[in-house]
Amino acid sequence: MSQAVMTEKAVMTLEASGLTRRFGDRVAIEDVSFHVAPGETYGLLGPNGAGKTTTIRVVCGLLAPDAGEVTVAGLPVAATATEAKARIGYVPQEVSLYPDLTARENLRFFGRLYRLRGQELRDRVEEVLELIGLADRGDDRVESYSGGMKRRLNIGASLLHRPELLVLDEPTVGVDPQSRHAIMESIANLGTAGMAVLYTTHYMEEAERLCDRVGVIDHGHLVAEGTRRELVARVGEKDRITLSATGSLALFAEACRRIEGIEQVDTADSSVHLIATDGRRRLAQVLAAATVTDTSVRSVEVEEPDLEAVFLHLTGTALRE
Amino acid sequence: MRAAVALAGAELRRVARDRTFLFFMVLLPVLIILLIGITISSNEQIRVGVVDTGRGALSSSLARELADDPALTVESLDSRADASAALRRSEVTAAVVIPSDFDAALRAGKPVTVPVLVPGSAESSQAALTAVQAVVGRHSAAVQAAAFATDRRLGSFDQNLGAATRLQQSNQAVPLRTEVVDSASNFLPLGFSYSAPTMLVLFVFINALAGGAAMIQTRQYGILSRSLAAPTRPRDLVGGEALAYLSLTVGQAVLSVGIGAVLFGVDWGNPWAAAALIFVWALVGTGAGMLSGTLFRTPEQAGAIGPAIGIAFGMLGGCMWPLEVVPPSVRMLGHATPHAWAVDAWVEVLSRGGGLTQIAGYLGILALYAAVLLTLASLRLRRSLVTP
Repeated sequence: MSQAVMTEKAVMTLEASGLTRRFGDRVAIEDVSFHVAPGETYGLLGPNGAGKTTTIRVVCGLLAPDAGEVTVAGLPVAATATEAKARIGYVPQEVSLYPDLTARENLRFFGRLYRLRGQELRDRVEEVLELIGLADRGDDRVESYSGGMKRRLNIGASLLHRPELLVLDEPTVGVDPQSRHAIMESIANLGTAGMAVLYTTHYMEEAERLCDRVGVIDHGHLVAEGTRRELVARVGEKDRITLSATGSLALFAEACRRIEGIEQVDTADSSVHLIATDGRRRLAQVLAAATVTDTSVRSVEVEEPDLEAVFLHLTGTALRE
Repeated sequence: MRAAVALAGAELRRVARDRTFLFFMVLLPVLIILLIGITISSNEQIRVGVVDTGRGALSSSLARELADDPALTVESLDSRADASAALRRSEVTAAVVIPSDFDAALRAGKPVTVPVLVPGSAESSQAALTAVQAVVGRHSAAVQAAAFATDRRLGSFDQNLGAATRLQQSNQAVPLRTEVVDSASNFLPLGFSYSAPTMLVLFVFINALAGGAAMIQTRQYGILSRSLAAPTRPRDLVGGEALAYLSLTVGQAVLSVGIGAVLFGVDWGNPWAAAALIFVWALVGTGAGMLSGTLFRTPEQAGAIGPAIGIAFGMLGGCMWPLEVVPPSVRMLGHATPHAWAVDAWVEVLSRGGGLTQIAGYLGILALYAAVLLTLASLRLRRSLVTP
């Protein structure tokens, strides 16, 4: 019966339903539900203390939930812990490596924990070193690495066994911009390679750049989820268009007000500020209005509402560091 | 099991690269075995001064026999005054003054006395007196035999003395061995036979306690909690740590045995008894090391407090000096530590030729210590792994 249901229904790589976890009287997460499909990158966005790490620890089987269930590739984590865990790659928030061992030795150790042996282990270690760009430093002790290199190796250690689900707990904290860029590139590639990725961050730009869908978590509750556009639509945020121009700005502003979708027009010195729904689509009409009103446009800037604004709207607070 | 082996392998690899730990594991035990071995050495040879004022054939032969005695180291002195000076300076334990009429008196069959000078406190000279007495008695026996044969007109005195001496040499007397005993008549091993096994006991324990730092570091690095996200169970990680510590303690013990045998010529007795004792003591060390890794909060604490506790236990347990020389109350207190039982077992094996049967009781007591320590350590480590 359940087999039939499974084949009919697309099996999500990760299904979390109704997760609740308390520490004494404090509720860390409550009724958190979400899923991650194969090849999808799901971002769990929230400030420090929102419940991201608790959610991840429950998902990875490191913490038993008080209520709710997690399945990975159809396997319940609580009941089949080792089998489910074998399908997860976990990247903890802190670099969790032996600093006095080399990168190769660290990878061999973690590979063995994930049941890799012999030639397969040796091959995977070399592949991962290549993937994270540390092949030429593989025999150096980790303590000699820069922060970014350690972070890359921290991720690499979770990729050895080719997990179906990669769980990253704020992997770019304390990383220099160059390494951060490299890490995000690598994660984006993993998503396109078919791996499901659960990514927590409190950096909006990371969530916007990497994630197909985002869950906003605050005070232990998942307050909203969806694609960036869905979230923006849900909170009703508009695009901002700013034009730097010379000429008859009053006439130009009047012409803009008549364009469908333009909801607000303000002029100031040599610029015009517009608030519009789907601003990029209105741009051609706006520029046509400038031509008609003999206005010379020097620059145009379209600001789409970001997740920061969504978060502000949903929680009533700015994203806390 | 594979996860346990992987964890143990990684831990051992780290330890092998720690130069400080290697110093404590290899070099320091050698130095301490050497130091304590020399300090409580039995020094079987007794230094004796000999003044030959007679300078005749018989007095010379007596001086030669004293010099040839394996129990004595003889220093030839010119006069009684030199002998007194050597005694004052503690250069010799006793001085034998062979009188000038020694030859003439013996040849004439007259009694002669050989003075032996000893310092004021004669206790330390007792062994020297006994050894000298034995040599002088042996020499007198040959002279008496020669005198008897000469009296029976069986040849000249010198011929008879030569024959008697040869006969004496070809018929060795029944040897005696001096052994120091305490009130309970326990044989007290001395020299390297004491220092090597006691240092094995001491350093296996100390290095295990100090090695607790490695487990604390592994926890601090987040390795253990990350490992739980892999398909491993807490018991795999507890087993891995135990395996690492057991390998270290067995390695330390085997190293001590090797050093004792090769460098200091220690005979480790019955191999089965020694192997069993090493293994059980390694288990005690494993439990202690793991407990140290769960009790101390920082590697620095384990590295500083661990060895201090190990040394204190070693002192109480007879690793620094034999418990036979301490008051009974201290000896009893010492047996609250596992060290005392281990040292007792080694004394049984090394000094009395004890085998597995003779040390079975000690092994049982040590196994109990190991079980308690390992259980406590495993429970604490497991709790630290599963507690959020």
